Amino acid sequence: MLYMPGPFMSAHLDAWFKPEARREKDKALFVLEQLHILIHKVDANRQTSYVLYESFRRSLRQALEGSGTARSFGIRPSQPNSKRVDIAFLDDYARKQWDTLLFYMVGNTVGLKGGDMGSDISDDTIGLLKLGNLVQSSYGRTTITQAGFNFVLQATSAQVWSLLIVYLKHAESHLGLSETEILSFLFMLGFLELGEDYSTAALTRTQLTTLDILCDLGIAYRPSKSSTSFYPTRLAVSLVSDSASLPASGHSNPTGGYIIVETNHRVYAYTTSLLQIAVLSLFTRLTTRFPNLVSGKITRQSVQKAIKLGISSQQIISYLTAHAHPQMRKTQPFLPPTVIDQIRLWEFDRERVEVTQGYLMKEFNTESEYRDTAAYAESLGVLVWRNDMKKVFFVDRIEQMTTYLERRNRGH
Amino acid sequence: MVKAVPGALVKCDASIKAMLINIDNENRNDFIIEELDEEHLLVKKDKVAELKSRLHEMMKQVLREPDTDESDN
Repeated sequence: MLYMPGPFMSAHLDAWFKPEARREKDKALFVLEQLHILIHKVDANRQTSYVLYESFRRSLRQALEGSGTARSFGIRPSQPNSKRVDIAFLDDYARKQWDTLLFYMVGNTVGLKGGDMGSDISDDTIGLLKLGNLVQSSYGRTTITQAGFNFVLQATSAQVWSLLIVYLKHAESHLGLSETEILSFLFMLGFLELGEDYSTAALTRTQLTTLDILCDLGIAYRPSKSSTSFYPTRLAVSLVSDSASLPASGHSNPTGGYIIVETNHRVYAYTTSLLQIAVLSLFTRLTTRFPNLVSGKITRQSVQKAIKLGISSQQIISYLTAHAHPQMRKTQPFLPPTVIDQIRLWEFDRERVEVTQGYLMKEFNTESEYRDTAAYAESLGVLVWRNDMKKVFFVDRIEQMTTYLERRNRGH
Repeated sequence: MVKAVPGALVKCDASIKAMLINIDNENRNDFIIEELDEEHLLVKKDKVAELKSRLHEMMKQVLREPDTDESDN
């Protein structure tokens, strides 16, 4: 479609797909339309067809051919720098900055004090965490919020994105920076080569301000504030791909597992990282700490305390699973099933109701209208509950449903 | 004309539902929009958290569950 002069007939598109894959095709087309990549057209003979948005088409062509002056992939400095830093240093830097950030969030809440960690966090970063409602301060003490917990338990690349989205949302209103410029800078950053230095000359003022905060977060590195070059770290490179994410700190084995859970709910964690101990203590009762090991127990109280703070049993289980010690990984599933069940039951103890936000669709004119719309909702995977007697159903997303109903009504 | 009512679908068993309706009745019907069937209620979106905490209060009174069950072994 990129080089096609005319529109692409939807009849031709249908011919490419097996009938049973219709649902996937509709979903994909909807997403592309929402992203303003595709336009859906109906011509005079009621033939439907698709075309690419002109600006998207032009930019993609430029990117593929390397034409134009958009500078999507960064600019290397004109002369080679004598004091280059290597990848290991960048990894170290990124990890230290990011761990400091996480420890600031968790450590303050559980009351752990960690020497040099969590102390040298910049005011800008703290402001960002507060804007994102990830931490809150009351009576001069900073504590983590429910959203903050979800944040800590996520994978690193997801964390980076969540924080950057907070930054983007507030950049325009609070700092008067252009959202578009920041976003294009971030995407550029994602495509840069790890361990290479890039020139700051081509950046706009907005992007330079952004670079400062990215350095604080450990996403980029500048030897000094006035330096004319910067390095993307592994956090930056993993913005657009999953493959090269930053290895976690505090243990030597490459799989990253350090937690052993026994069937009697006892937990042994081989770690020296204060961050990991702090996270663990959110939902375990830690009793003993040795130089390379902490031990404790998952109890009803400790789990319910976590649930009260907004962590779900599923998050606890997936955290334990993701960080299971290699020894635990020999069995399938990694965690003892009794412990998994017990954690779920403890949550269920507190949560006797299941809540889904969304919309109730009701007052359909005809039986067939109800049936078709409900079937469509089901095929999209947004249908949560239906009652055929009352002709009502509940969906957790409404956008596609309104589009569907509008199209349907126009057709009649 | 089809209507879309924004809200939160609450799924629970019949006994919990009875308690929720009880809470709703005692508070000027400020929580529940519609009863859907034996196990489903439509609740006002911004009232879910409050309704939940009231339910916990009620359950605590009814069940009197022991809070200290910490044994070490």
